[in-house]
Amino acid sequence: MDAAVEAPATRRVRVWDGPTRLSHWAIVSLFGFCWWAAKSDHLRWHRIAGYAMLGVVWFRLAWGIWGSQTALFSDFVRGPKATLRYLRKLLGRGGDDAPTPLGHNPLGAVSVLAMLALLVSQTTFGLFAVDVDGVASGPLARWVSYDTGRRFAHWHATNFHLLLVLIGVHLCAVAFYGFARRENLVPAMIHGFKAPASSAAAPYFVSRWRAVWLAAGILLAVVLLVNAR
Amino acid sequence: MTHRADRDDRTTGSTATRGAGRRLRSALIGAALLLGAAAGARAAGNPGPAQIAQLIHARHEHFHALGKTFKSLREQIGRAQPDWNLVATDASQIERLATALPTWFPPGSGPGHGVKTRARAKIWAQPQAFAAAAKTLASRAQDLAQAVPSHDPGSLRLRARALGEACGSCHHRFRAHSSWW
Repeated sequence: MDAAVEAPATRRVRVWDGPTRLSHWAIVSLFGFCWWAAKSDHLRWHRIAGYAMLGVVWFRLAWGIWGSQTALFSDFVRGPKATLRYLRKLLGRGGDDAPTPLGHNPLGAVSVLAMLALLVSQTTFGLFAVDVDGVASGPLARWVSYDTGRRFAHWHATNFHLLLVLIGVHLCAVAFYGFARRENLVPAMIHGFKAPASSAAAPYFVSRWRAVWLAAGILLAVVLLVNAR
Repeated sequence: MTHRADRDDRTTGSTATRGAGRRLRSALIGAALLLGAAAGARAAGNPGPAQIAQLIHARHEHFHALGKTFKSLREQIGRAQPDWNLVATDASQIERLATALPTWFPPGSGPGHGVKTRARAKIWAQPQAFAAAAKTLASRAQDLAQAVPSHDPGSLRLRARALGEACGSCHHRFRAHSSWW
């Protein structure tokens, strides 16, 4: 890890592809926007941004199945044993010969899964949520009763607080890597490249067109869903 | 009174009748208590803790009915073939509730009386502003109810939107949370 600092830009490896980075920052900005719109009672904008969030989250899930190597769940999600081993290595206890992955590490994988699960729940709850007046509501609220819709709205609120907690944990982890391990993770999520210390094999990337087709399909699905009768 | 009721129970002898009688009696007692609470609140201006709890609970129930009915109405007029009988029932109930709304806020039923409520103290601090907001709601509810016989979904949707805005703007000012929580 210190090698990266001592010998800068010796070897730059592409780690995150465009769709992964774009999804990440889209989720960040949409989350912020939705938060502001809910706080300031701009429910129309909140709904529209929520549909966008729904699409982005679905896209990231699909990209975890058909995307580039570092985006694949099968590539970065590890079992509890491997995760614990990584945690021990991270805290400087116990050796582990396995090289640190270029993309998400096993602990980060848990965070990715938790984040996506909370975002899927959040957008789903929003689809059915109803306000106290029975006026502003999610696009599918007509499928549920007023009381069920209110329950969804409360889950939407509770889950939002869970998301805030997880985002806090995520930011703390990024800060920990930056200060304690001298590994700034943010630039790689912006430009996609890392200068790894280890000579890990470069990951493979899939065509950008695949992302375009997936995004188009998901856009259509979201439009159909929110206009469902 | 109690004596007679007991004897009646014994003469009929049926547990079912006795159960029904007891339910009716508790319903009557409940209604009397509610009426007493409302009357007491109006007369003294300082209801006791139990009455405050009842007033706030009743208010909550009224708003619940209002929201539920409005959701039902909005969904009906959004359909290709609305059930006009249902629309008429909902609209008249909304009108009735919206007109009665100012009576749900007797003095002393605000926050700081030991019972959780989202009604803000501003309601009683600015009674004229609150009365004006309530009047807007009532007149928009009347507009909506009057437009039902026309069976014109477009005009009804416009009026329903105006009514919804009245809910939202009043909640914005006089409710501790916006309409969402």
